[in-house]
Amino acid sequence: MVQGKYFEDVNVGDAVIELKKGPLQKLQLVMYAGASGDFNPLHTDDDFAKAVGMKDGVIAHGMLIMGFVGQAVTSWVPKNRLKRLGVRFAGMSKPGNTITISGEVTDKRVVDGENIVTCSIVAKDEQGDVKVSGSFDAALPSKA
Amino acid sequence: MADLSKVGTEYPPIVWEVERGKIRELAKAIGDFNPIYLDRDAAVKAGYKDTPAPPTFLTVPMMWCGKMPDFINDLKINFMMVLHGEEEYEYYQEIYPGDVITGIPKVTKMEEKTSKSGSKMDMITLEVLYTNQRGEKVAKVRSLLVERK
Repeated sequence: MVQGKYFEDVNVGDAVIELKKGPLQKLQLVMYAGASGDFNPLHTDDDFAKAVGMKDGVIAHGMLIMGFVGQAVTSWVPKNRLKRLGVRFAGMSKPGNTITISGEVTDKRVVDGENIVTCSIVAKDEQGDVKVSGSFDAALPSKA
Repeated sequence: MADLSKVGTEYPPIVWEVERGKIRELAKAIGDFNPIYLDRDAAVKAGYKDTPAPPTFLTVPMMWCGKMPDFINDLKINFMMVLHGEEEYEYYQEIYPGDVITGIPKVTKMEEKTSKSGSKMDMITLEVLYTNQRGEKVAKVRSLLVERK
């Protein structure tokens, strides 16, 4: 995995991120509900979740999984170099799931004097099922 | 079923004062113990003015302001059938404790699509442009809501 943070060190196709989160716990969903303000009981109340068709009970907030992605991205590139982060919510995550986030450089270019790197990102559970996929842009420093 | 004629609707601003404790609380709930979110000195040492808001922080003013149900009602979306399809942030500058940010929510796109399996759904894009107390752009949030029909 590429650790280099300089534009010159990063190439299209490089793997840039690897972060494992979890296993997800119900307590974390309660904490995230309070922190984010998303109190949809689908995420905290097993009876409610079952009543609306989730046979195993509560599911994680999609935004919590995006939070994991944000953590993964900013463990590779400093927060103040992140220009854009976008995801698509592809699947539901449940307590017990371990989420692994990985990323790959898909483009690098100079825009208005900034060295922009675009990477794809994907978050999968222990079965390989995709929970979140997306991409981010970051401005990297140059050695020059 | 969403009222597709509502495209272009702008809603009243979301005004939110950013607190240091909320930044720390969100980072801890995510399990992101990066010291820049937890400790002012560590943040300053890393080149920040103060503890910056984490990448997904702007979900906090949107959810805590409590206006999302109003938007959904106004757009005639069936709450029980709506899914959060996508979320995207563009960052223009850092958000710090003490900042008062103002977001203008706007419905930028509404369209009906047919899935591979043949079922129809409405795709609603809500954009919120946030500025700070100095009138500077800080970030843009783009959320895609999907209503199954």
